[in-house]
Formats: sequence, structure tokens, C-alpha cells
Amino acid sequence: MKHNFLLASMALAATAALGISNASAVDPSKTLLINDAGGQWVEAVAKCIDEPFFQKTGIKVTHEVPGGIAKLLAMVESGKITGALFDGETGEIEQAKAKGLLKKIDWAKINPEPMFDEAKQEYAMGTSFYSTIMAWRSDAKAPGNFVEFFDTVNFPGKRALPNYPGFILPFAALGDGVPVDQLFPLDLDRAFKTLDRIKDDTIWWEAGAQAPQLLQDNEAQYAISWSGRVAGKEGVTISFNQGMLDMSWFMMPKGADPAEMEAAWLWLHEHTVKANQACVAQYISYPGPSPELDPLLPQDRLGEFPTYSENKKVQWLTDAKWWFDNVDTVQKRWEEYKLQQ
Amino acid sequence: MTLASPTASGPARPVARRWSFTRPTEVTRILPLFILVVLCFDVPLLVALGWSVRDPKGPDPTLRHYIDFTTSPIYLPVVWRTIELAAIVTGFCAILGYPLALWITRLSAGRQLVAIGLVIIPFWISILVRTYAWIVILGNAGVVNRTLKELGLIEKSIPFLYNELGVAIGMVNVLLPFMVLPIYAAMLRVDSRLLHVAATLGASSFSIFWRVFFPITLPALSATMALVFILSLGFYITPAILGGGKVPLIANMMDMFINRLPRWELASAVAMTLLLVTLLLYAGYQWLRSRTPA
Repeated sequence: MKHNFLLASMALAATAALGISNASAVDPSKTLLINDAGGQWVEAVAKCIDEPFFQKTGIKVTHEVPGGIAKLLAMVESGKITGALFDGETGEIEQAKAKGLLKKIDWAKINPEPMFDEAKQEYAMGTSFYSTIMAWRSDAKAPGNFVEFFDTVNFPGKRALPNYPGFILPFAALGDGVPVDQLFPLDLDRAFKTLDRIKDDTIWWEAGAQAPQLLQDNEAQYAISWSGRVAGKEGVTISFNQGMLDMSWFMMPKGADPAEMEAAWLWLHEHTVKANQACVAQYISYPGPSPELDPLLPQDRLGEFPTYSENKKVQWLTDAKWWFDNVDTVQKRWEEYKLQQ
Repeated sequence: MTLASPTASGPARPVARRWSFTRPTEVTRILPLFILVVLCFDVPLLVALGWSVRDPKGPDPTLRHYIDFTTSPIYLPVVWRTIELAAIVTGFCAILGYPLALWITRLSAGRQLVAIGLVIIPFWISILVRTYAWIVILGNAGVVNRTLKELGLIEKSIPFLYNELGVAIGMVNVLLPFMVLPIYAAMLRVDSRLLHVAATLGASSFSIFWRVFFPITLPALSATMALVFILSLGFYITPAILGGGKVPLIANMMDMFINRLPRWELASAVAMTLLLVTLLLYAGYQWLRSRTPA
């Protein structure tokens, strides 16, 4: 403790002595620690971005599991932040922002190549797109939209549904006939009405891998699933129609090491390069934010990609602000519904 | 059990030397484990205790989370459901486990080894795999339902899973070895001369069992039931998968408080309450065990 304090005050004194007030005067560090959820996408990023990035800049990137706002909060409480970037879901950006944990994204320093506007936020950069979509066994009757999807009379069978309010309630509202363009503010009563109606035919899934498994085992005939999990699975048909398009983000915490922050901007720039995104897309169908990616994607699997122009235009984006503003109500209703069933 | 009795006959043991040599090594031997347990278990537990009385809006400790938890019309039913299910599971484990253990003790030595092996093998298989295996067997498109359909006995699949029945089946499956092994060990310790005496005195095999054998093994049975009951209070994976997300138990509720809603204070209060209940049950278990003949 004492030692740390001493170091910190020395560092502070040194900083003051050098008169460093402008962060840009700091050279990028030679190492960059990133907190994220790990998994297939990060493995692909390690191959397609981290490796060439190291060749080019000499900056060694390491990833630490997990990321997310919970870890960031714990770090802020303990007073020591390691890592210049944290991954996060859409909803987490608003939370982290409200708690004042985030540094603004320095778009000038990232100097991005062309990217979708929705991926470019003040406090976060969207680096991979994913969708939540309907999927069904190819031998079951195909639903055309979510009203049909939730119609257990004309489309009999079990439904495997995500056990996450943000990923099910909007679809349940669509299932009660709410039009897509009036989805937000979300009508919770209508959403829960749908869930109540099909209760006996519901199997809730927790882990993303469960949805395709339940379909392939014929335990469920219909599922709402993350696109990357069901796309290209044998015996499973998917549709992006009325699907929810979303992104995984990177956020920068206040209080990270300034030199590492500089390295982080350079690394984020690599994410906007479409060749890099195409490389990642070979391994996992969660594409990056370039609007010019379609020609570089594997053409025989174009239909599996959330940002493929034909898929992108039939989907909607969630309203992170609404979720943030209504978090207490949603949580209360969800908790009641789930624990009382 | 007459260790180190001062009046024991025979040459005096080099007590002093043993002390000076063994004691420091014993301490150093357990020291790493002790530090590990304190750092990785006890300290976090105390932190959780701190969380459970923490007021997010002020510096003073509060009992609000405990009051929230115990007065809520939503949380308490989950606790009752957990207790009810734990009781059912414990009951079924006893009904299945006791006769099984008894049957094993009557086998030849070689067969006993095989039978115990068969009981233990599931221990080595991941609980996740065992849980999913039930979907293959009892699922809507599982072996049982498909067979019944092909035999023309049913039209629609019988819903074995994705309800409380499914959770109970999965839990009994996981907990059965915990029931069988201690009872089996206790049965082996029963002095067979007592049974012979009863037989010599003309007791029927039924009364030998009910009036001699069962009462001797009863303390072991009740202690083991207490143990199984404690274990079944903390199930998470089984209700999540075999309950189809529709049978939330205490652990699933805590998962919701920790991972879904940032309500760690409430989760800690639930955890502390569960810990207290478990400790009380454990005290009961130890008491029952102390009554088990050695």
C-alpha cells in the first residue's frame, strides 16, 4: 500500500514536472490489455488483427476474460484499472456513461475507414454486429413474422426462447401485433401477454449454444437465437425478418494508463479496416462495421451475415436509451414473471 | 478408541520428542491450505456479509436487504419451492438409495466392488453431461417418448422435462451416490452377530430387518438424508436446464440478482440466509452422525 502510494506520488510529481497536460504527447505503450468476453470472436481477432498489428506497430495485445461493466465497476471500486478497453453490450454503454466511468471515444485519433453510423457513438465503438433472429427446424412450418412465430395453434411446437429480457420482450411485443416501427417505447403488457399465452410451450435457454442444440434434438421446433449460433446449422432454417440487429462494443474507462489509451486508438482503427473484418468473418459470422464488406464475405454464406444488405434492411435496432430509462420497471416485471411462473 | 490413556501399560512413549518434531511440520503442512481457504473462501465470505448489510445510498449498515428478501411475495415462494423440492428429492434418494445399499451389502465381495463402481462412476462424469443426457432420454423427442409413441401408447409426448418433475429427476440422479455410499458403509458396520442372535431367538427375517437392522442403520440414514437435503438446496445447473428455465430455485434467483440485475446486496442477503440455514442443518447432521454407532 505504502509502496504503491509512493510510486503514485512519484509518477504524479514526474508528470507535473514534465508539464504533461495533453494526452497526445504520450507515446503509445508497447503492450495493450483488453478486457473482453473471450470466445471464438476474440480468437479470430487475435489472428486477424492482433498479429498483424504487432508486426506493424510492435504493440503486443493481450485479452483478459471477462470484460463488461461489472468488471469495470469492480476495478473502479478497488481503485486500480488495468486495461484500456472493455467490451460491453449495448445496454452497458448507457449504464457506464451514467456512472461517469467512460472516456469519450477520440474519433480523430481512431481515424476510421468508412463505417456504419450506428457503430460510431460518443462513448463506444461497435466492432462486431450480431443479430437475434428466428430459427426453426427445417421440417416445421415456416413462420413469416413474429406474430406467426408466437402462434402455437397454427405453428405447433415448442419454442426455445432466450432467458434475457432484452432479447425476448421486444419479440414478444411483435408477437402480439405491435408494428416494428412502434416497438419503442416498448409495451411491456403486450409483451408479457404473449409470453403468458405460450407459457406451456416455452423452453428458456441460458447459453447461446442451447438454442441450436434444442432444435437439432427436436426438443423445440422454433427458437429465437443469436444469429451466429444457428446460421449454417444442419436441419435448421433461419430468417432475419424482423430480427434485432445489435453490436458488441468497446468502451474506454477513465483512469486507464494514458500510453495504453494511445495504443488502444491505434488498435481500434484496425477494426475499421474492411480486409481485417473479412478475415474475422471467415471464422465467425459476426461482421465488423464496414458498409463495404459484402463483396469480401464468403459469397455462398452471405445470407448468414447480419450486415449483409438484404438482411440488414429487414431488421431493427434496439433502443438502448429506452432500456436504460426503464431498467427498474423491466427488471421488476421480469423478476416477477420469472420467479412466479 | 483408548488412545494415549495415561494409565496404559507398556513402555512410556517418547511423547516429548514427537511433539517437538511433528508439531511444527504439521503446522507447516496445513499452512498453505489454511492460507488458501482464508484468502479464497473466508475473506470473500466476509465481504459478502459486508455487502448484505451495505446501504447503496448511505454509509451506515442496514438490514433493509434482509427485510426486502423476507417480506417479498416473490422471493419467498422461490425459497419454499426450493425447500419443497429438496425434501422430495431427499425422500426419493432415501427410498431408492437405502434398498440399493442393502442389496449391495448382500452381494459377494467381487460383485459389491462392481456395484459400488457403478454407483461411483457417475461422480466422474460432468454434471452438465449427465444433465443433458436426461434430455436425450426423457425429452419431448427423447428415447422414452419416441418408444411410447411408436408402441402407440401415447399421441403427444409426456412432459417429463421442463417442469418440477424434470428438475427432481435430474437432482435425484446427481445426489443418489451421496445417499448410497454412506448408508452402504454404515450397513457394513452392522454387527452381523446381532442379526444371528435375533434369528436364533426365532425372529422372522421381516422382524430382524425392522426391529434390529433398520433401527441400527437409522441414524446413518437420517444423517445422510440431512446431507443430501443440504446439497440439494444449492442446485443451479439442473433447474436451469431440466426445468427449462421455468423452475427457478434459490441458486437461480441469486444468479439473477448477481448476473442479470446488479443487486449484489440482495444476493448477499439471500446467500447469508442460505448459509445460516445450511449451518443449522449441518449442526443437525453432525448431531445425527454422532448418534451413528462407530
